[in-house]
Amino acid sequence: MTVIRRRTILGGAISAPFATLAAPAVNAQGGKPHAGTTINAACFQTTYFTYLKDYFPQFEEKTGIKVNFNMQAFPVYNQRTDLELSTKGTALDVCNATFIYTGRWIGAGWLTNLDTFTKDRKYTPADWEPEDFAGGPQSAMKNAKGETFGFSWEGGAMITSAARYDLIEKAGLGMPKTFDELIKVCDAVHNKENVAAFTADKLHHWNWIPYLMGMGGAVFKAPPENLTPTLDTPQAAKSADWYANLLMKYGPDGLLSYSDDQAMRSQMSGRANIRTQAITWMVPLAKHAESTVQKTVRYGLMPAGPDGNFPGSNSHGLAIPAGSKKKEAAWEFIKWALSKETLNMVVKDHGYPSVCRLSVIRSPEFKKVLTLNGQDVASLYLEVLELGGKTGYMKYRTVPVYPQVGDKINKAIERIATKQQDAAAAMKQAQSESLSDLKKAGIKVDQG
Amino acid sequence: MTGLAVVLAVLALSPFVWLLLMSFKTNAEIFRFPPRLLFDATLANYAALWTSEFRNSFANSLVVSVASTVLSLLVGVPAAYALSRWTRRGGGAITLWILASRMAPPIAFTIPYFLVYRHLELLDTRTGLVIIYLTTNLSLVIWMMRPFYDQLPRALEEAAWIDGATMWQGFTRIILPLSGPGLAATAILCFLFAWNDFFFALILTRTEAMTAPVAVVNFMNYEGWEWGRIAAGGTMIMLPVLVFSFIVRRYLVSGLTGGAVKG
Repeated sequence: MTVIRRRTILGGAISAPFATLAAPAVNAQGGKPHAGTTINAACFQTTYFTYLKDYFPQFEEKTGIKVNFNMQAFPVYNQRTDLELSTKGTALDVCNATFIYTGRWIGAGWLTNLDTFTKDRKYTPADWEPEDFAGGPQSAMKNAKGETFGFSWEGGAMITSAARYDLIEKAGLGMPKTFDELIKVCDAVHNKENVAAFTADKLHHWNWIPYLMGMGGAVFKAPPENLTPTLDTPQAAKSADWYANLLMKYGPDGLLSYSDDQAMRSQMSGRANIRTQAITWMVPLAKHAESTVQKTVRYGLMPAGPDGNFPGSNSHGLAIPAGSKKKEAAWEFIKWALSKETLNMVVKDHGYPSVCRLSVIRSPEFKKVLTLNGQDVASLYLEVLELGGKTGYMKYRTVPVYPQVGDKINKAIERIATKQQDAAAAMKQAQSESLSDLKKAGIKVDQG
Repeated sequence: MTGLAVVLAVLALSPFVWLLLMSFKTNAEIFRFPPRLLFDATLANYAALWTSEFRNSFANSLVVSVASTVLSLLVGVPAAYALSRWTRRGGGAITLWILASRMAPPIAFTIPYFLVYRHLELLDTRTGLVIIYLTTNLSLVIWMMRPFYDQLPRALEEAAWIDGATMWQGFTRIILPLSGPGLAATAILCFLFAWNDFFFALILTRTEAMTAPVAVVNFMNYEGWEWGRIAAGGTMIMLPVLVFSFIVRRYLVSGLTGGAVKG
């Protein structure tokens, strides 16, 4: 018979509350340490998260974390998030690290270093593999020390599409592989069957740069360390003149005011033929229900210039704002949203074409999704993503002052295209305006 | 002369007609080249608006614009009257200070407003927007209404006072009814400011209090714009302003010029 002594009762009474306190969360929450937590996440409107939202119940079931995911228009999201991050707000736990802002947001310390999560097995299992994310897209998510502040969910790889490849074939030519070939093809097919040979949108600071680099030019001397603009070089003037001519001679009417969407629609409706742009705007030509060129579209690598091939590549990633009070729960979400399993699921169920995990890109499922008109576009995509990461030529675009400099580039190309200025004068003006803006922003530039 | 007026009217209305036609087209029809004047009209864009978050945003716009207009008039009209009848020194300076609130560009107030609103938990609330529009509209009300009261002879209210009316009764029963056209014109301008505002609504709302102009921008998706819905949303946004202006059009011209002919 067990004898209950006074000491046992006292000891039990004292230790009971501590035992309750010390009870691991796992026991209390059934292996879900963040159960009951609600996190707020935001991104601009995009198909990836529209698809992903359908799987949120799985995440909530698995972790007990509720996700309020808000999507806004691209400019609205960027404006609001920039303000939220700059004031170290706590309203967001997960945000999208928009490519053009990554330099600013990471440089200013507004995002959380995610290495603390990926390097700690308590938070991240080894098979999550951060190294599985392609180098090109990930380079925008890192600081100069190589620390990671975001993981890419979208990679934008610039390729060439020919909406009416049949016209090019009829002319006895193929997909242009060089700048010279591009002009030759445009000459041969322009206005055949009322189709303009080339189209582009008005964001010349994205579209023109591969042509600038291909002709030996650059935007900055050595970004991100030396941000002295190099827009007044002979190479820049020559390339700007060449590009403005490409737009005006071979583009449809009104091209200079085209938005991304209008340029895509000009191809989808069969009004324009060739475009060099990120894959996101190229796949709809073959897949969108409203596309009239599904059967005739073909894809190729960005044409190379005399100095090489520099297709634009960008990326958007998921990140945790520095002000978030629920960083661990936020990481749980990122870990799930960008896991191999989730990405494979989205690719398989919805055919999403812009993932950045190498293991997913190399999977047969992804290849199937990006086999368009019998063409293996998946390998083109991978080639561009890897190219961007290898030489780091895309660094120019992640520096915090690029939006200001980009604006000057846009205006210079417009002035050249509309014959308001010759190329040398327009680029000289862009250089001087950029220098002035950079100095105002306190950026050190080379003298003379 | 009439012909010229018709040409000018057609030119002025053509963007609106283009928008209206777009709102009844499919995306494929919108991008058809050359465009067709006769096409199969669809209400799909309007139906899509009704089933999306735009419906709530439209309601937010209505509530916030009407509330801020009414409050601006409730506070601003007596203030304008008081300043008009102010006989001591300093009246002019006070009026100028009130106007000063509209002299700085809105962007100058963005971060202070944002921080204060976050602290007061007014972000993403209709109340927060009403307060902003009230403060910005107040100076407009005072500066528009004061000249009306300046031109009304003081003898009218003095006669009322002799008959035993209080100052408030003199204002509400004699002066206010005489300033009807001015009130209508001022109300339209206040409503328009709140209704059309994009900047403050962009910065100070998220989802719950988002207004219609911001909601329309949300149809500009990253991978493509929903042109039909943008046009339908734009048409819906124009509608209340047109209806409101049509109702009070009788007062509009006399209201806008009434205070300008004093002396």
